[in-house]
Amino acid sequence: MPPLIQARDLSKRYGSQVALDHVNFAVETGRIVGLIGPNGAGKTSALRAILGLTPYEGELQVLGREPFANRAALMLEATFIADVAVLPPWLKVDQAIDFVAGVHPKFRRDRALTLLAKTGIAGKRRIRELSKGMKTLVHLALTMAIDASLLVLDEPTLGLDILARRGFYDALVNDYMDATRTIVITTHQVEEVENLLTDVLFIDQGRIVLDCSLEDIAARYAAVAVADDRVAAARALNPFHERPMLGKRVLYFEGADPGKLAEFGEVHTPSVSDLFVAKLSRNAA
Amino acid sequence: MNTFLWLVRREFWENRAIWLVPALLGIIITVAVLFGRIDIITAISPEQQRAIGPTVLFAYGVTFFVVMSIYSTWYLLECLYADRKDRSVLFWKSLPISDTATVLAKLFTGVIVIPVVYFIATDVSTLLMALIVSLRAHVYFGSTLWRPDLWLQLHVLWAYVIVTTAIWYLPVTGWLMLISAWAKRGVMLWFILPPLGLFWAEGWFFGTHVLGTQLNKRILGYFAQAFYDHSNSLAWVTTTTGKDSITTPSSIWRVVDPAGFFSSPATWIGVLVGAALIVGAIQLRWRRTET
Repeated sequence: MPPLIQARDLSKRYGSQVALDHVNFAVETGRIVGLIGPNGAGKTSALRAILGLTPYEGELQVLGREPFANRAALMLEATFIADVAVLPPWLKVDQAIDFVAGVHPKFRRDRALTLLAKTGIAGKRRIRELSKGMKTLVHLALTMAIDASLLVLDEPTLGLDILARRGFYDALVNDYMDATRTIVITTHQVEEVENLLTDVLFIDQGRIVLDCSLEDIAARYAAVAVADDRVAAARALNPFHERPMLGKRVLYFEGADPGKLAEFGEVHTPSVSDLFVAKLSRNAA
Repeated sequence: MNTFLWLVRREFWENRAIWLVPALLGIIITVAVLFGRIDIITAISPEQQRAIGPTVLFAYGVTFFVVMSIYSTWYLLECLYADRKDRSVLFWKSLPISDTATVLAKLFTGVIVIPVVYFIATDVSTLLMALIVSLRAHVYFGSTLWRPDLWLQLHVLWAYVIVTTAIWYLPVTGWLMLISAWAKRGVMLWFILPPLGLFWAEGWFFGTHVLGTQLNKRILGYFAQAFYDHSNSLAWVTTTTGKDSITTPSSIWRVVDPAGFFSSPATWIGVLVGAALIVGAIQLRWRRTET
C-alpha cells in the first residue's frame, strides 16, 4: 500500500522567497505526525500544498491524488482545521451542522450533536457570539464528525488558554483517533503535542531536519548530563549539541553506543522539544 | 445539484438583506398606501386614472428594481471578498465543494435569486396596493388595477427584465466578482478606479474615448437594447387632459424587443466578456488562499 501522503522534491516559492526547498517525506496510515518548526519554517506551506490550497513544484500525492487540481474530491477523504476561528461569524451552530451534513456524504450528524452537547454550546448561537475557545470546539466537533482518513491541523490551538487547549487535544485523542485515521498536526508549542505523536517531522528554513518515529528517537538519540570535568572526554564521542544545566552540561548524541555514554552519567531519551532545540540550534550554528 | 442548493441557502444565511431589504421596502410602501393621502386619485378624471393605472403598477416595479440594482452590485462585490476578509474561506475550502460550484452559486444568487426575491416582493406589494386602493377609494382607478391582461403584461415584463438584465450586465457582474475574488481590501475602489484610470489614460495618450463610449453604452444602453424607443409610435400613447399630458406604453407587447436584444452582437460580446471575467474569478478563488 502506498503511503497516505508522499512528497518528492516538493518546493514552494513566494516570489524570490523559498518556503519549501525540495522536500521529501511520506506519511503512513494510522500515524499522528507532528510537523514541527519555528515560525516561517515552511510548515504552513507544506500543509497548504497537502490540502490542495496552493500550487507547488515537485511531486505530491495525497490519498492517491494530486491535491491542488482535486481539492474538492480530496476533501471527501481528508479534512482540516487551518488556524483558529475561521468559522464564519454570521453562521449559527445549527446552520453549520445542517450545511456540512448537506454537502458532505461522510458527515455524521449524530456524532456532531453528541460532541457539541459535551461543550454545552446552544445550537441557536451565532459563531460571533462565542469565545475563541468555544469556536474552536465547535469547529472540532464539525470536523471530528466527518469520517475522514486524513485530518490536518494547522496551529489549531493558537491563542487559546490552557484549558481550551487541553480540551481540544483530549477530544482529539479520545473521541477521534483510531487505527484507520491519520493526523498531521503543526504547532510551535511542541510540549503540548509530544505525548500524542507517533512521528515527528522537523522542518527548518524550508528543509526537513528530522523525519522519524518516536520509537526511533529512543533508539537513535540519547542525552547525558555530564559533570564539567568529564565534558572534554565525552565530547570525543561527537555530540551534536550541548547545553548547560545546573552546573553540568547536557550532551546530545545521535547513534552513539549507550554503553559508552553510561560511563559519563545517566543516559536518557531526549524529549521531542529538547531534540527540536538541539537539532535546530545545530542548524543555526 | 443538492450541494448547489445548499450553497444558495448559505447565501441567504449570510446575507439576510437579500430578503430583509425588499420586505422592508414593501412594508414601508404598503403602510404609506394604507395611511397616506390617496384622495388625489379621485381628484383626476376617470380617463386620466385609466391612463395612469398601468404606470402606477409599473412604478412599483421600477422602485424595487432600483433598490435591487444597488443591492446586487454590493452583493456581488462582497460575495467572494467577505470569505477572505473573515478568513472563513479556510473553512469552506475544507469541504468537498469545488471553487467553480462556489463561484457559480454566488453568481446564480446575484443575477437570478435576488431578482426573483425582488420580483416576489414587487408582486405582493403591488397586489396589496391594488387591494388597499380599491377598498379605500373604490373608484375607476381601482378597476384599472385589476385588469388581468395588465398583470400578465407586468409579469412578462419582469421576467423579461430579469433575464435580459442578467445577460446584458454580465460583464459588469463578472468584473464585480473578479474584484471580489482578487482585492485584498478596498473592493469598491478597485471596482471603479481601473476602468476610470484606463478611460483617462486613453483620453490622455490617444485623445480617444472608445472605452468610455463602450462603458457608457453598457451601463446606460440597456433600455435601448431591450426595448423599442419612442420612435416606434405604435408602442407609446400620449393621453392629454387639459394642460397635463402623460406618455405611457400602449402595451408591453409593443415595447419589448426580444428579437432585437438576442440578435444584437453587443449582447453576445457582453456575454463572452462576462464569462471570461467569471472564469477569472473562479481561477482566483481556486489559487488565492492567502487571507
